[in-house]
Amino acid sequence: MTKKDKKSFNQSLAEWKLFIYNPTKGEFLGRTAKSWGLILLFYLVFYGFLATLFTFTMWVMLQTLNDEVPKYRDQISSPGLMVFPKPVSALEYSFSMSDPQSYKGYIEDLKKFLKPYALEAQKNLIDCTGGILFEQKGPVYKACQFPVTLLEECSGVSDPSFGYSSGHPCVLVKMNRIIGLKPQGNPRIDCSVSKVGYLQPLVAVQLGLGASSAPKEATVECKIVDSPNLKNHDDRDKFLGRVAFKITMHA
Amino acid sequence: MGEKTPRIYSVELNGAKDMEQTDKGDDKKYRSLRENCLELGKNHHKEELRKEVDLDDHKLSNKELENKYHTNIITGLSSTQAAELLARDGPNTLSPPKETPEIIKFLKQMVGGFSILLWVGAILCWIAYGIQYSNDKSSSVDNVYLGTVLALVVILTGIFAYYQEAKSTNIIASFSKMSPQQALVIRDSEKKIIPAEKLVVGDIVEIKGGDQIPADIRLLFAQGCKVDNSSLTGESEPQPRSCEFTHNNPLETKNIGFYSTTCLEGTATGMVINTGDRTIIGQIASLASGVGNEKTPIATEIEHFVHIVAGVAVSIGVLFFIIAVSMKYHVLDSIIFLIGIIVANVPEGLLATVTVTLSLTAKRMAKKNCLVKNLEAVETLGSTSIICSDKTGTLTQNRMTVAHLWFDNQIFVADTSEDHSKQTFDQSSGTWASLSKIIALCNRAEFRPGQESVPIMKRVVVGDASETALLKFSEVVLGDVMDIRKRNHKVAEIPFNSTNKFQLSIHETDNTTDKRFLMVMKGAPEKVLEKCSTIMVNGQEQPLDKSTAEAFHTAYMELGGLGERVLGFCHLYLPADKFPETYSFDVDTMNFPMSNLCFVGLLSMIDPPRSTVPDAVTKCRNAGIKVIMVTGDHPITAKAIAKSVGIISANSETVEDIAKRLHIPVEQVNKQDAKAAVVTGMELKDMSVDQLDEVLTSYSEIVFARTSPQQKLIIVEGCQRQDAVVAVTGDGVNDSPALKKADIGIAMGIAGSDAAKNTADMVLLDDNFASIVTGVEEGRLIFDNLKKTIAYTLTKNIAELCPFLIYIIIGIPLPIGTITILFIDLGTDIVPSIALAYEKAESDIMNRKPRHKKKDRLVNKQLALYSYLHIGLMQSLGAFLVYFTVYAQEGFRPSILINLRVEWEQDSVNNLEDSYGQEWTHYQRKYLEWTGYTAYFVGIMVQQIADLIIRKTRRNSIFQQGLFRNKVIWVAIASQIIIALILSYGLGSVTALNFTMLQPQYWFVAVPHAILIWVYDEVRKLFIRLYPGSWWDKNMYY
Repeated sequence: MTKKDKKSFNQSLAEWKLFIYNPTKGEFLGRTAKSWGLILLFYLVFYGFLATLFTFTMWVMLQTLNDEVPKYRDQISSPGLMVFPKPVSALEYSFSMSDPQSYKGYIEDLKKFLKPYALEAQKNLIDCTGGILFEQKGPVYKACQFPVTLLEECSGVSDPSFGYSSGHPCVLVKMNRIIGLKPQGNPRIDCSVSKVGYLQPLVAVQLGLGASSAPKEATVECKIVDSPNLKNHDDRDKFLGRVAFKITMHA
Repeated sequence: MGEKTPRIYSVELNGAKDMEQTDKGDDKKYRSLRENCLELGKNHHKEELRKEVDLDDHKLSNKELENKYHTNIITGLSSTQAAELLARDGPNTLSPPKETPEIIKFLKQMVGGFSILLWVGAILCWIAYGIQYSNDKSSSVDNVYLGTVLALVVILTGIFAYYQEAKSTNIIASFSKMSPQQALVIRDSEKKIIPAEKLVVGDIVEIKGGDQIPADIRLLFAQGCKVDNSSLTGESEPQPRSCEFTHNNPLETKNIGFYSTTCLEGTATGMVINTGDRTIIGQIASLASGVGNEKTPIATEIEHFVHIVAGVAVSIGVLFFIIAVSMKYHVLDSIIFLIGIIVANVPEGLLATVTVTLSLTAKRMAKKNCLVKNLEAVETLGSTSIICSDKTGTLTQNRMTVAHLWFDNQIFVADTSEDHSKQTFDQSSGTWASLSKIIALCNRAEFRPGQESVPIMKRVVVGDASETALLKFSEVVLGDVMDIRKRNHKVAEIPFNSTNKFQLSIHETDNTTDKRFLMVMKGAPEKVLEKCSTIMVNGQEQPLDKSTAEAFHTAYMELGGLGERVLGFCHLYLPADKFPETYSFDVDTMNFPMSNLCFVGLLSMIDPPRSTVPDAVTKCRNAGIKVIMVTGDHPITAKAIAKSVGIISANSETVEDIAKRLHIPVEQVNKQDAKAAVVTGMELKDMSVDQLDEVLTSYSEIVFARTSPQQKLIIVEGCQRQDAVVAVTGDGVNDSPALKKADIGIAMGIAGSDAAKNTADMVLLDDNFASIVTGVEEGRLIFDNLKKTIAYTLTKNIAELCPFLIYIIIGIPLPIGTITILFIDLGTDIVPSIALAYEKAESDIMNRKPRHKKKDRLVNKQLALYSYLHIGLMQSLGAFLVYFTVYAQEGFRPSILINLRVEWEQDSVNNLEDSYGQEWTHYQRKYLEWTGYTAYFVGIMVQQIADLIIRKTRRNSIFQQGLFRNKVIWVAIASQIIIALILSYGLGSVTALNFTMLQPQYWFVAVPHAILIWVYDEVRKLFIRLYPGSWWDKNMYY
C-alpha cells in the first residue's frame, strides 16, 4: 500500500510540475502565453465594463438623493437619548468628590461637548424666544440659538467643575437629531430621580447627592414624555426616547 | 464438442446431446468457477471453499452417509437431534449481504461532503462565544445561536439525505422479499411440512416437480427427476438427476441437487448435506460481497466538486483571516469572519438537491421499467460506454416462436413480432393443409384452461418450449386447435425421446368419407427424412428423388445457418384394408409402418429478438456505446440474433466470414478487415489477458457465445481495463460477481434470481434491453442537468462572499448576515435547483459519445470560472447596488460608510451621525443593517431568477429551448419570490431572523442587473454557437 501511495504521490508531484510549466507545449499554469494574454485582456475589458457600469448605476442612484433631507426617515421615526459626559463603561459614572483626577475626564468631556453651545459659536443663529416651534420654508434655513445659560449650574459658567467637586454632579441628556421631526404635544424630558426642569434640546441633570462621606449611588432614568409621536419605550432599543444611567459617588 | 456438432445448431426437442456434452467437456467450466472464486475471495474464503469442493458426500454409500450425519434414511432425524443441529448451524437461509449498520450510514451523512466544514464553522462559533463569555459575562449570544443554526443545518440535511437513501433502498427491499419456502421432511418417521429455513444437515427431504430444492442434497432416490441448474451454472437445458455417483466433481455428479435450483419434473428423496451459507449458492453469494464495489462515477464527480468548493472556501477563509489579523482586527472577530466566509462559500443545500434530483430521475426511470437501487447508479448508466448484454430474454422475447417454414420447395417467413395475430404467408397450397394438420395434431402441449380472453401469444401453455411455439403458431393460423384435436381423436402416441429423436401420433380423422387413420410425425429433419420415400409438393405426393433431397438439404442448412431450431414433418395415411377402424395400435411393438412416409415440410423456430431491440441497439451505437452480447447459447444462434438486432451490423464480417467468402483458411485473413468477432467460451478460456484486451479493442462488434456466467466477470474486467464504464445485465446467481464488478449491474426483474437482484445496482422490470437505452438517456440528461444545477448554485456564492470581503477590507456595515445567507442557500434556492432537473435536453443527447470518466468532469474549470467570476460577480454588483441604495436613501451615503464599521457596531454609541447629521442609536443602526441584509438578499434573489433562466441551456438560446417548456422553472421562480416576500413581510418582525419589511421599490433595483445577466449569457451562447471550437468556445462553454 505504502509503495503504491508513494508512487501516486510522485506521480502527482510530476503532474503538478508539468501543470506549472509544460516546456513541450510552452504552457504556464495550463495556458500558453498567448492564451494568458487573451484571457487577461478579456477580463480587463469585462471588468472594466462592469466597473463603469457599477459607477454609472451608483451615480444614477445618488442623483435620487436630496442634499438637505434624506429620502426616507422611516428607520428613525423617534429620537434616541444620549448622555454626556460619555461614561467609560455601560452608562455608569463613578467618581470621588475629593479626588479631582477621578472626574477630570467627565469635566473635559462636558466642556468639549458644550463648546459649540458657547455664545460666540451661536452668534449667527437666530434668537427664537419662548421656545415656540415654527417651520421654515427655506431655501436658507436658520437654526435657533440655544443659550448655554439655560443649563444654569450645569453650564460650566458658574461652576467649572460642573458640581462634581461639591457632590452635585451634572449629567447632560441630549435628544438625537432627526431631520424633519416635529414633536407633537408638549414634549419634555422627565427624569425619575431628580427633575431639574425641561430644557430644549439639552437637559441637565444635577444630582444633589450631598457631601457626606459615605459612598452614594443613584440610578437615573430620563424619558421623553408628553409627546404622542415620540416613543419612549421599546423592548429592544434601550435608548429610544429614554436613557438610564447610574452615578456612584465616593467622598 | 466442436468437431462433433455440425455447422447447424442441434435440432433437439428435449435432446440428451447437450447433457452429454456437459458431462464430458465442461469440466473446465467449473474449474474456472473455482479459480474465479479463489481470485475474488479473501484468503479465509479460500479455505472454506476448498473444504467445500473436497466434499465427498456424493461418493459415499447410503450407509456411510447415515453414519456421517447420524441419521436414518427411513425414519429421518429425531426432532431433538434436529433442534440441536439447528442451534449449532443456524437456520437454512442465506445470510443477507453484510449491511452497513444504519447508525454508520447516518453518521456518514453527517460528516460527508460539506458537513465537516460546517461543523468546523459551528464549533468555531461556540469557541468564539466561549472566549467572549470568559472576557465579558454579558456578551451577546449571537455566536451560540449561529453555531446552533449551522449544526442544525448539517443535521437536517444529513437526516434528509439519509431518508432519501433509505427510501430508495426500501423500494428494493420490498421488491426482493422472498415468499417463505416449505419443505417436506421426514422426521421421527413422520412426513412433515416445515419451513425450509428449519432444515438441518441429515434431514431427509422429498421433492417433486416444480419445487425449489430447499438445501444442497445428496439424492437417495430419484424418479425421472430433472433440475434446472441455470441459476447456478447458466446451462438452460434441464439436467437429469439420479442417485448414482457419476462424476468426481461434486458440481457435476448427478446425485447432488443444489440449493435454490428448481426441480422441473419427477420426484426425488435426498439427504440434506449443506444448509444456508455453506451451500454452493451461499458461497457464491458471499463471494460476490467480497468483490470490491467500484465507486460510482457521479460519486467521484461530486467528491471532486466538493473538493473544489471546499478548497476555495478554506483558502479564501484562511487568506482573509490572515488579512484581517494583519489589519489589526481582533482574532475573535477574524474567526467570525472566517465562519462567514465558509458559510457563504458552501452551497449548503446543494447536496440535498442533488439527492432529490437523482431520486426524481430514479422515479422517472422506474416508470420506464428501470428500478434503481443505488441512486448514484442513475448517472452511471448515462456514462456507460460498454453494455454487456445477455441474449435470452433481454435481447430476445425468451420464447420459441416459429420463424420460417419450408414446403413446396420454398421458404416462407412467419411473423415473429411480440403480438402477431395473423400470419401472412401463402396458405393456399395443399401441402400447407397437410402440414398444418401435422403441426396441430403431433403436439402434446395444451393451453391451460380458462384463458379464452387472453391473447394467444400471452396464454400459459403446459409443454416444452418448442411444442408451445407450435401450439401457439397453429392456434393463430388454424383457430381452435383443441377442437381440431378433439375431432381427430388420438389413438396412439410415441412421445419424443432422445434416442428416437422423433415424435409420432396416430389419429382418427374428422373426414367422414375417409376412414383411414392418419399417422403424423415430427422430429429431427434428417431422422424424419430417413423414414420417407415421397415428398409432398403442391399437395401432390411425389417420389423423393435426389434433386428434392438436395433442395431439402439446402433449406435445412439455410434455416440452421440462421441459428434456428429446425423440425421436419411427415405423415402417412394408413391403408384402410390393413388398419381397420378397430385396429389396436401398440406403441411398444410398433405394429404400424415406420418407413415410406410422405415428407411434408420443415419448420424452424427461434427465440426471436424483441421488436424494440434493433432500434435500441442503433441508438446505443449512435450514442457511442458498444454493445457486447454475452450468452451461453450456441455461437451460430448468438450470431444470428446479433445480426438481426444489429449488434453485428449488416455489412460487417467476422474473420470466419471473410475466410469463407474468399475461400482461404482463417489464419490467412487480415484481422484488420474484420469488424465483428464471435468468441466462444472455449476460445476465451485459452486467451491471455493481453489477447482479450486486443479482442476488445480491435473489434467494434463482439459476441461472446457459449460462455459460462463466470467468464462474464473476465469480460467485464477486460472492458474496465479499457477505461470503459461497463453496464452488465445478468439474471443467474453466478452473474452476481460480474454484476457487482460492473460499474452498473443490471438484474432482470422477471427472470432474475434474488441473488442477482441483490447485487445489482438496477433492476430491469421488463427484462427488455430497450429499457436500458431509455435509462442511458435519462442518465445523460441528469448529468447535464446536474451541471446546470451546480452552476446555478455556485453563482450566488460569490455574491454571498463579496460582502464579507468588502466588510473586512473597507469596513462598511455588513451587507448580508450569515443567517440570511442560509435563507438563500436553504430557502429561495432549493426549488429552482431542483427545477433544473426537469429541463429537457438541449440537443439529441443520444447522438454524442459517452462522457470520458476522467476528462468530462461534472464541474470543470469553465463552469467554476464562469459561475464565480462572471455571473457571480455581476450578481454581487447588483446586490451591492441595492444595499447602497437603501443606506443612501436612509441617510448614509456610500462615502460615509467606509470605515464606519467600528463605531457602527459599538453598543455604547447611540448617537452616530449619518451624512445628514441625523443621529442613530445602536438599535436603530442594527435595524438599518438588517434592512440592508434584506435588501442585499432581495438583490441576490432577483438576480438568481435571471441566473435560473440562463442556466436552462448551456449552448442554445433560451428562446430555442423554449422559455415556458419547463413549467417547473416557473413554479420555482414563483417559490423564490413567495419565500422572499414571506421572509420580508411575514417574518420581518421576528428579530432573530434578521429580516425587515423592505420598501417595495427596492425589490426592483437589481432588475436591470438581472436583465444584463440574461443578455450577457445570451451573447456568450451566441458566440459559442457561431464559433464552435474557437477560443471563446473553449473558455466559455462549461
